[in-house]
Amino acid sequence: MPANQFVDVSLTGSVTVVPPKIRSIEEDVDLYGGNIRQIERLKKTLGINERRFASNELTNLDLCTQAAQILLDQLNIDPSDLDGILYVTQTPDHSQPSNATLLHGRLKCGTDCAALDVGLGCSGFVYALWLAYSIISNGSSQRVLVLAGDTLSRLVHPKDRATASLFGDAGSATMVEKRMGAGVSWFRLGTDGRGSDSLIVPAGGARLPFSNETAEEYSDDDGNIRTKENLFMDGSEVFNFSIEVVPREIEALLDYADVSKDSVDYFVLHQANRYMVHNIGKRLKVDLGRFPVESFGAFGNVSSASIPGALSYELAGPLTGESGGKSSHQVVLSGFGVGLSWGNCLLTVSNLDCLEWRVYKS
Amino acid sequence: MEFNRFIQQFEESLDGLETGSLTGTTAFKGLKEWDSLAILTLTDTIDLEYGVLLKKTEIESCDTVQSLFDLIQSKV
Repeated sequence: MPANQFVDVSLTGSVTVVPPKIRSIEEDVDLYGGNIRQIERLKKTLGINERRFASNELTNLDLCTQAAQILLDQLNIDPSDLDGILYVTQTPDHSQPSNATLLHGRLKCGTDCAALDVGLGCSGFVYALWLAYSIISNGSSQRVLVLAGDTLSRLVHPKDRATASLFGDAGSATMVEKRMGAGVSWFRLGTDGRGSDSLIVPAGGARLPFSNETAEEYSDDDGNIRTKENLFMDGSEVFNFSIEVVPREIEALLDYADVSKDSVDYFVLHQANRYMVHNIGKRLKVDLGRFPVESFGAFGNVSSASIPGALSYELAGPLTGESGGKSSHQVVLSGFGVGLSWGNCLLTVSNLDCLEWRVYKS
Repeated sequence: MEFNRFIQQFEESLDGLETGSLTGTTAFKGLKEWDSLAILTLTDTIDLEYGVLLKKTEIESCDTVQSLFDLIQSKV
């Protein structure tokens, strides 16, 4: 069982950068056969509103590079002071080398720095934090930079109602540092590879390389159109997985930490959609006010950037101390998705020096 | 499980459906309100009310409201 607790390590800041292009659900009216009522239903039930799209020349590496530059600048950290770079993405610039090494080069970091990609989606941010906390706890590393994000807009077919209105693009940079006296943090992680078919891009890897056949459009039973090069999601399987596994795993994490639900200030879940977040909240029997969900309606479901995105979009006031209140918060972070894979952690977050989101500037 | 209460919950899950329009013999998959969002809402309601988490394929294996009720009852 991958369960760990760490002391003297802390998340110290995070920046999320989104592309300037906004698309609203109203612009998808043709996808729903001109049915305005259906659009209203999606807004009301799932909380879909706006999402951010990267233009063709903008990649996730660009978004994360800008996020990292802002973060380093705000925290006054020199790139040569980084001991590690972990980049969570499934939409890298190239199949090799990794985005982490490309970012290392762009930031002009020192050569005494480990850099690697983590090939996960919506669960990935918590996984990368777990690695960062482990790396710092187990040796002489002081600072690890965690990047997380995808450009899923490139992978969804615009005529697939199961995915098209749901996903957006974002990149995030988060700093994890050695901090003596930082409170305890707990992690629990898990995987169920038997569910790998329910969220998958079938073509483009070694198993099924791109071909004329993989580029052919097909229509499924619900009339959704996609190719094998697009992201496929079995929404109902993923929903069932999430409401079955996530509440149980958050309960198990809190048991492991011996912390009550009442002591947790915020439950920051992967922003899959509002319905999902609220339904996990209901099953935990926690008041929904402690579950941020507004960033979903502004960015869309932005894969591994959704947790840092939610932190900066909705919790910057309390977590930086700007809105007053206490100087330390207990925060649960919960990532779950493609794999299927999940990771949950309970962090003690002392007032952060930097927590913000910005629009990408070229 | 009470059948009338189940019918009421089913009707509430299908957005736009009038109260009293469902009976045990209704072939719900033919209703114009039946779509993926309705399946999601109904799955959620059944899980919260009866603690039974049904797969989409299980729900769609039922032809009538009564047969879905029977399926849930066999799993409670």
